[in-house]
Amino acid sequence: MDTMAYIAFGFYTIICLGGALWAVTRRSLVRAFAGLVTSLLGVAGLYFLLAAPFIGLMQILIYVGAVAVLIFFAIVITGASREAQERITTTKKKRCLAVLAGLIPASFLAMAITKYSLVTNNTPPQVSMEDLGRALLGPYGLVFELISVVLFAAMAGAVLLGFKRRQ
Amino acid sequence: MNLFIMYQLVALGMLGLGLYGMLLRRRLIGMLIGVELMLNGAGLSIVTTAQLTPASAQLGQLGTLLVMGLAAAEATLVLAIVIVIYRRFNTIEEQKISTLKG
Repeated sequence: MDTMAYIAFGFYTIICLGGALWAVTRRSLVRAFAGLVTSLLGVAGLYFLLAAPFIGLMQILIYVGAVAVLIFFAIVITGASREAQERITTTKKKRCLAVLAGLIPASFLAMAITKYSLVTNNTPPQVSMEDLGRALLGPYGLVFELISVVLFAAMAGAVLLGFKRRQ
Repeated sequence: MNLFIMYQLVALGMLGLGLYGMLLRRRLIGMLIGVELMLNGAGLSIVTTAQLTPASAQLGQLGTLLVMGLAAAEATLVLAIVIVIYRRFNTIEEQKISTLKG
């Protein structure tokens, strides 16, 4: 059973990081978008493996369902898929600097994590959906209200920005 | 090399790839894809810490839910801004949309 878990972990890791790599290296934005969706599904699989099925389902619902569709509509509306045809050359120096900028913080944090080990257990606890709901409406009620205000403000702002100004 | 470190390394890989993508992309939507990757790495890191250490599992899962909500709000706003920029400049390449030339 343990080896099965490791195999599943490796599988989802490959989906996750492979999709992310695909998303940042493709020139065409539509292909990058496909990589992003693959990566998000891989993260959802990792959530399921971590015994957090509710978060995994929310990941699929919110990211793969809503945010991805939003990004796709933006690609379609702005015609970014057509613009991809013209080749934009990225200088080698810029590419090297981007690799460094991604690598340095990640490797620094990785060093910190591997050096200062925490007390860990390999069997994640189960948190029922009922407990999560009770916590959201009980001790963390204010956060729940605040996030709805933030979402409302974002929605209203998007509608306001989307209106065409009359000349 | 325990399970915790392996999960955290996956999250850090997503952080690194997201940063790389965000810095290298010329178009705003490509940069947004990089940001989404980074946010996903953060969520994975939070859930891992909550589930595999003695920290409160409930709190970690709720925190990740809130991160997802904030990411959705951020994506909505960024895409509205992208559409406004596209109307005004007819392109979404970040090099071409600067009107203050130095």
